[in-house]
Amino acid sequence: MKWDKIGRWQRALLLAIGAFLMYFPILWMLSTALKPQALAFNGALVPAPASLNNFRAILGPTSYEPTFRWLGNSLLVSVTASCLIVAVDSLAAYALARLRFRGRRFLFGVVLASLTVPFVAVLIPLYLEMSGFNMLNTYYALILPYAANGFGVFLLYQFYLGIPLEVEEAAIMDGANRLRVWAHIFVPLGVAPMVTLGMVTFMNVYNDFLWPLVATSSVQMRTMTVGIALMAIGQYATNYPLLMALTFCSVLPILVAFIFAQRRLVEGIAFSGLTM
Amino acid sequence: MAQSPGVVARPAGAQRRSPRHKARGAGQDLIGYLLVLPFLAFFVVFQAYPVVYGVYVSLHHWNPIVGNGGWVGFRNYALLLFDHSALFSQQFWQGMLNTVLFVFISVPFLLLIPFVVAYTIYRSPAKGLFRSLYFFPATLSATAVTSIWSWLLQTQGGEVNTILGAHIPWLVEQPWAWISIDLVTVWWTLGFNMVILYAGMTQISTTLFDAAAIDGAGSFAMTWNITLPQLRRVIAFVVIISTIASFNLFAQPYLMTQGGPGFSTSPITMFIYGVGFNSFHMGTATAMAMLMAVILAAIAFAQYRFVRGGEVS
Repeated sequence: MKWDKIGRWQRALLLAIGAFLMYFPILWMLSTALKPQALAFNGALVPAPASLNNFRAILGPTSYEPTFRWLGNSLLVSVTASCLIVAVDSLAAYALARLRFRGRRFLFGVVLASLTVPFVAVLIPLYLEMSGFNMLNTYYALILPYAANGFGVFLLYQFYLGIPLEVEEAAIMDGANRLRVWAHIFVPLGVAPMVTLGMVTFMNVYNDFLWPLVATSSVQMRTMTVGIALMAIGQYATNYPLLMALTFCSVLPILVAFIFAQRRLVEGIAFSGLTM
Repeated sequence: MAQSPGVVARPAGAQRRSPRHKARGAGQDLIGYLLVLPFLAFFVVFQAYPVVYGVYVSLHHWNPIVGNGGWVGFRNYALLLFDHSALFSQQFWQGMLNTVLFVFISVPFLLLIPFVVAYTIYRSPAKGLFRSLYFFPATLSATAVTSIWSWLLQTQGGEVNTILGAHIPWLVEQPWAWISIDLVTVWWTLGFNMVILYAGMTQISTTLFDAAAIDGAGSFAMTWNITLPQLRRVIAFVVIISTIASFNLFAQPYLMTQGGPGFSTSPITMFIYGVGFNSFHMGTATAMAMLMAVILAAIAFAQYRFVRGGEVS
């Protein structure tokens, strides 16, 4: 076509060059993680000789920091929060989309309002509240506050509106109660958006920094992001190969999740832009 | 039948109850509340209550160890806003200025670069592959991003300086410190905005482009007359969420420059954190946070109104 002055394949070439530049820092992390410390500053992208000694150092029994514990904390917290949010938000979204009860509009307003509060505004009162509950430095503090976000309710609500009414009418005629309708019809039909919500939540919680920074105080309760930031960056200010190995370990779960569900993740992000 | 089919297309609660619904209303009320209750409980305990409690704390002298140190009314706010000799006031204003500066130097790039990338992908082969490739860095944590870039941007032996054959003090001198934070933020989050803009582009009907092509419109005319107007709402959304995200800047300076040199890259969030958790003045820090939230809400609302106003005309 006339308006395609630059050809499609030239565009692809440009994008490929851009992608290489963009991935250079990530390749550099991997390369440095495989280098012995003495060669960290040699400026070569390909590590020669490559070795896994840095990974042995941070994952082994004599490691300076409890890498597995941090990784476990991060995974436990983010997976639990994701499951919790998907369940809680799905119930609320079903009620808002299908049941007509007094105060529904007000509740819908509440859902939207929950999206507008910047986290920093509640940082200190939330900290004081958790302190009052004696929950600081526990998994409760690291998980529960995330469940108050209305994004998931909004996402699933939009999806449930699109499910034809006939689908549930038959079940209701047969005398199924609302909870059964939700569990046997809306949950199976809504697996795709629920996975999307789960992925977005997993990523956000796994990567969060500010809240786990203030909510935890012991080395054993740190998450990967906070643990690396507080201990390793100071400790390894001159030992970049160890820091990069640690960083790679922190990226690995996200990378795996991304490879398996990147389409769902991308859909979740795109959804917010198209509907809000 | 619980609802007439017409409800689906309408916004929540827009429809009037029919007498039939009134008859079964009580049952629906109860089960509706029960289903919403878990979400509502989390919302009240972890979001609504902290906001209200935050207002309360900001009206007190509050030490995290001793607790409530007595009512001070609006003195925390008056101190921050008007008493320019007070250290916390100076920090508040410096933090706000730094944050606003960052918004101005980041948001244009966070719109422009993702737009160009999205548009190029939109008209190239292997769309799905490129979209995923460019999106991936947005899934990394602030810690991972800053630890990688802090290493790349070292003045001595950092790879960026090695490649450039330069000796640029990226993280320790201005204006390089801001340039570094900006560069890293754009690198990190451009994929996020790209995905949103790309999704918007796929919604534009291709017949618009075909019709314009028949009329002999060039590539630039197409972008200006079709793509941009059609993407108006999506672009507005990207600008607003980028403004909000940039306003909440914290981890990049906290981990890369430690707010320096001096306090020149300390955003308001770092001062809130420092005053609250290091200086133990939680009343003052919460007042800072409340002021920041109000200013941010005002800016986001103004942007929203600006977009909506433009749609009417």
